[in-house]
Amino acid sequence: MNPHFSAPLGAAVALLIYSLIGTVPSVAAEPVQFARDIQPIFEASCVQCHARGKEKGGFSLETRADFLDGGENGLAAVVGHSADSPVMKLITSLDAETVMPKKGKKLTPQQVATFRAWIDEGMVWPPEINFAKHEPANLRPRAWASVAVPAPAVNPVDSFVAQSTAQPAGTWPQPVDDRTYARRVWLDTIGLLPPPAELAAFVAEGAADKRERLVARLLENRQAYAEHWLTFWNDLLRNDYKGTGYIDGGRKPITSWLYTALARNLPYDQFVAQLINPGAEAEGFTNGILWRGAVNASMVPPMQAAQSVAQVFLGVNLKCASCHDSFINEYTLKDAYGLASVYADGPLEIAECDKPTGHIGQVKFLYGELGLIDGRADSATRKRQLAEIITGRANGRLPRTIVNRLWQRFMGYGLVEPVDEMDKPAWSPALMDWLAEDLVAHGYDLKHTITRILTSRAYQLPAVNVGETEEHYVFRGPGVRRLSAEQFSDALLTLSGSEHAAKADARLNRTVALQGATGATLPLQPKWIWTTAHAAKKTKPAAVVFKREVTLPALPTEAFIAIAADNSYTITINGQAYGASSKRTSAGPDLIDMRDKFKVGVNTLSIMAVNLTPEGATPIPPAVIGPNGKALPFDPKAPQLEFPPEANTTAGLILYARVRAPGQIMDFVSDASWQTEVGPVFELGGVELAPWQLGPSFLELAAAQPEKLPVQRASLLAADPLMAALGRPNREQVVTVRQGTATTLQALELTNGATLAAALKAGAEKILTTGPKDPAQLATTLYLQALSRGPTPTELTFATQLLGSPVQAEGVQDLLWALAMLPEFQLIY
Amino acid sequence: MNLSRLIAQHSARQARPDLWSRRDFLKTASNATLAALAAGAPRSLFAAGELEKIAPTADRVIVLWMAGGMAHTETFDPKRYTPYVPGLDPNEVLSTFPSIPTNVDGVRFSAGLEHLANVMDRGTLIRGMQAADLGFILHSRHQFNWHTGYVPPQTVAAPHLGSWIARTLGPLDPAMPAFINIGQRFDLGEGEELKAFTTAGFLGSEYGPFNVAFPEQAADAVRPPAGMSPGRFANREKFYRELLAASPIGREGSGYQKDSLLRSMDNAHRLLSSPAAKAFDLSLEPLARTRKYFPTYEPGMRFDAPRDRFGAKYEESMIGRFGLGCLLARRLCEAGARFIEVTTEYIPFLNWDTHENGHARLVGMKQMIDAPIAQLVLDLEERGLLDRTLIVIASEFSRDMMLEGKPEKTVKDQVPVPTVLNDAKFYGMHRHFTAAGSVLMFGGGMKRGYVHGVTADERPCKTIKDPVTISNLHASIYRAVGIPANHGYDVEKRPFYVTADGKGQAVRPLFARG
Repeated sequence: MNPHFSAPLGAAVALLIYSLIGTVPSVAAEPVQFARDIQPIFEASCVQCHARGKEKGGFSLETRADFLDGGENGLAAVVGHSADSPVMKLITSLDAETVMPKKGKKLTPQQVATFRAWIDEGMVWPPEINFAKHEPANLRPRAWASVAVPAPAVNPVDSFVAQSTAQPAGTWPQPVDDRTYARRVWLDTIGLLPPPAELAAFVAEGAADKRERLVARLLENRQAYAEHWLTFWNDLLRNDYKGTGYIDGGRKPITSWLYTALARNLPYDQFVAQLINPGAEAEGFTNGILWRGAVNASMVPPMQAAQSVAQVFLGVNLKCASCHDSFINEYTLKDAYGLASVYADGPLEIAECDKPTGHIGQVKFLYGELGLIDGRADSATRKRQLAEIITGRANGRLPRTIVNRLWQRFMGYGLVEPVDEMDKPAWSPALMDWLAEDLVAHGYDLKHTITRILTSRAYQLPAVNVGETEEHYVFRGPGVRRLSAEQFSDALLTLSGSEHAAKADARLNRTVALQGATGATLPLQPKWIWTTAHAAKKTKPAAVVFKREVTLPALPTEAFIAIAADNSYTITINGQAYGASSKRTSAGPDLIDMRDKFKVGVNTLSIMAVNLTPEGATPIPPAVIGPNGKALPFDPKAPQLEFPPEANTTAGLILYARVRAPGQIMDFVSDASWQTEVGPVFELGGVELAPWQLGPSFLELAAAQPEKLPVQRASLLAADPLMAALGRPNREQVVTVRQGTATTLQALELTNGATLAAALKAGAEKILTTGPKDPAQLATTLYLQALSRGPTPTELTFATQLLGSPVQAEGVQDLLWALAMLPEFQLIY
Repeated sequence: MNLSRLIAQHSARQARPDLWSRRDFLKTASNATLAALAAGAPRSLFAAGELEKIAPTADRVIVLWMAGGMAHTETFDPKRYTPYVPGLDPNEVLSTFPSIPTNVDGVRFSAGLEHLANVMDRGTLIRGMQAADLGFILHSRHQFNWHTGYVPPQTVAAPHLGSWIARTLGPLDPAMPAFINIGQRFDLGEGEELKAFTTAGFLGSEYGPFNVAFPEQAADAVRPPAGMSPGRFANREKFYRELLAASPIGREGSGYQKDSLLRSMDNAHRLLSSPAAKAFDLSLEPLARTRKYFPTYEPGMRFDAPRDRFGAKYEESMIGRFGLGCLLARRLCEAGARFIEVTTEYIPFLNWDTHENGHARLVGMKQMIDAPIAQLVLDLEERGLLDRTLIVIASEFSRDMMLEGKPEKTVKDQVPVPTVLNDAKFYGMHRHFTAAGSVLMFGGGMKRGYVHGVTADERPCKTIKDPVTISNLHASIYRAVGIPANHGYDVEKRPFYVTADGKGQAVRPLFARG
């Protein structure tokens, strides 16, 4: 049936029936009641576009006054005169282009009649009813006192769980045994399988609080903790070592900052503040990812920043609202632009579905009630204000979002699901609120919350099967979870006691991250040097060679240069080029060993800094210095950077050279004593100077020893085919929960993939040389390592048969493979 | 899978146009698909039952990808030929090859495509392909756009055309991966960008590509690991089953995590031990037939194509590699694959990406594609599969001697072109052109011997009649396999469609039945 005719026809039929049975609802007989008759129509058909902060066509019906104000096309209704009210034409229109509601079902004839009567009767609308935005859920912090623990218990988490499940803790199943528990917490705190010896010691321990002490001990292992949680945060913050965007400099890693923050357990509020208002080392997160070329308005870097900040820290999906008022939540295009404008260099024109609207976004936070951002202030101030609002005490959403993420990680199902929809209620609001307040009360120490959860009885319950979505979730115990790709990869190596063969792809200095200042004293203060005094604000792209002579009275026994340049540098000493940063990703500091490069007497040091255009999607400089110290020839294949003839040659760097001989300090730094061929050098400021904000970490690096990073963990590697198959995301998008289902392509990679085959082969070789020679003993060891338990007699028989006697390399490989394929190995029970 | 079973399936489908009922989908879906559904993976918008029901004209799709930008004026849409002489004005040059007739009256190809010219009577040629306008050109970004219909960056991981089809239709033979991608390595230039679209994205990795970089080594992908005898492989599997049965947790009840793990292992083992796996083994093809795809093929030949972009050996090995890819595609079609892509391989500045020596390099590129594609068409026809197999030969955009981008909106030049050609290395289509392009299709319900669209005979050689956008080309491909252009899945509650915003319109004149 043609829908255009259905409504009038339906009305006619309805009237006919009503008249036949004599009960036509006389619209005049009983006055329309707003709450009973009109409100349901509004809720079902209108508010999605014209209320809750949205005003399609400039029309809002949040209040009666708004309704009467009309929209872009003039008035909507004339009180008492439905015939003169344009709204009546719209809701009865036969034209699919103009009919309202635009989405969903047309109003029924009866609804239209009710609407008409309501207007004719004077549009009675009780003032207490409005359709304004809902107060966002989980936003205000809940006063500590009102989240009282329902029943005193060792761990309050259990009291809340008992309360919400109506299952007193006394009736719960027995906690899992020590081995199961140990395997869980090892994997959940530091991502590794428990070493058999440590496991045995733990099982043998008799103390009542041994589980609490185990968790505490594991969390004290800062390196292992950092290298496990690096994976989680890399997924959330889209940080990776290879990936889209890097070829054009449209992306910047934050690895060094992130690793340091995790290793030092930076309090979560500071962690977030430093990501929202970042220095040079952490700015990659809000810079986003750019591909070369033109970008859709909804994906420009400031909009990406808004989406990422909202999703990661607040559990808010702004993706729809970046393009148009969202249909799935109450966030509007203006909300998205308000947040994005914080990160824009200038005013951002609002585009709806990539079409410019002529309106300029007004800087504001999603929840104005939490604080204001000064739209006239510069970008640095706006970012600082945003960071203050989001990490401020009035924002209860920040701690709730992170405790929910942690709970989801450990229990397989969030307190709020999906974890990125924090506008939804938790299945136990009291538990989430209490955990959030508990985090805040303990200085935003995430390890504290982790401890709370991992030492709860709830976490110690036997694992249950939890679906990815559940209609009416009731907590029954932690869900069975899958090892992450990185955990699997690491676990495989720990089986044989080997290390990853590859070189680390993560760029960072582990020693500095873990130890901080290494004790060396730095007598000088380095300065950012540029060829313009205003570089911190805005510069034009250029390449500048900074020079100075360094006279050394003795041959150095130690010479390290810590350097950061905007954007890249190439170092030349006495005419020889040594060390260059990647083209785009510098600014984060590097430490370079230059001991062999200096001579006694006068040394000439020249450093070319290349500053690229800010748009990201840009070219590579026309020339870089080759190994002979001369510019490389023009490469016609390389996209060209255009230098306008009038451009100010502006680029800059900061440097600390720690040059020592026994008893002699010959350090020097970047300062006004350096020279260029294009003009004077300006000292702009020290390590704290915005926008780079290198901070003390630059000096820590300058004082440190460089290190070769041994790769003990998969988290420090770029994804290999095995990890990719096992669900490590490519980090083009924010990923907060990885896919849990196993797939055939994964299984194929596990069955005959080259990466796994190579790891098995190397592992078997290692075991043959270092492992037990007796097949039964070897089988037992491998079982203990892989599954945290010894083999049953049946398993032992199978395993020893396979290993052969004497133990065969192929037998070891095949046993390793079979163990690694078991659900008991790949899943966390 | 044997042919008779395959044919039986086809006729079953044809007899029952209601392919789209959910019940039917559940019957044909793999177990893993069911698990994904149960687990709340992206919800199909189809369940609503409001989409158009389309009787498919094709059961499978083969995309032959001309990676790097194939100039229309040098291949399927030749213009005035201007031979090279020193001192030539580059503005004069529209085509660097003479044209040749095809077996369809009035349709001419560029010289070097003689084999394809002889099968044009089975083909439908789109001459007005329009690439999107994405500003300063990056190949991988246009390839992303061509393969997903969306422009990166995206807030949602957009699925590849093959993944959409794999997710919606599943494989024809349950043992086969539904989406097989042949010929591309990912550890070369722009490899990360290529990975970004060679993915099932939000649909989940079950629907991702089964990647085979080197067709002559495809058998390795479905065989026990290198150095492992079939006996040992079988024994290892048996042993795993024994340990599984012996493991206390193995005996315990089910759960979606464990079930999906066990099922995935079963599926993998099923492929590795199924007759379908033989389709991957090119050594089982009669030598005489293989040589129709690659004349100098020798049994046991393996070429890890060198990465060196200047080696003569490179071109030689690449020519054979693509040919073998076409042969592999044919074998996989026979064995029940659903979507296959064979690429000439994208490597910056190589293959179709001619930034210099364009004319000379295209002699080799045409050799690479001409005979193998024609043979693929003939082989499928001989096996009675061409009618239900849609072959699509396409590229991310075209090339031109002078214009970068499109005439009304040129973008930043990436290749210097001298005002006078005094060196043959400047003779060729070296700039990236987005205002026209050729797509050649065979089979799958498309017309035979038909040309759609017209481009100008003088520079700019842009589309002047019947342009076809990527969205509409995709809608046509989806329509051929029975998927409406506004089909999609919910992700994060947002509907995400097979064509951008669900707005693709199939180009009906391409279809034999309209």
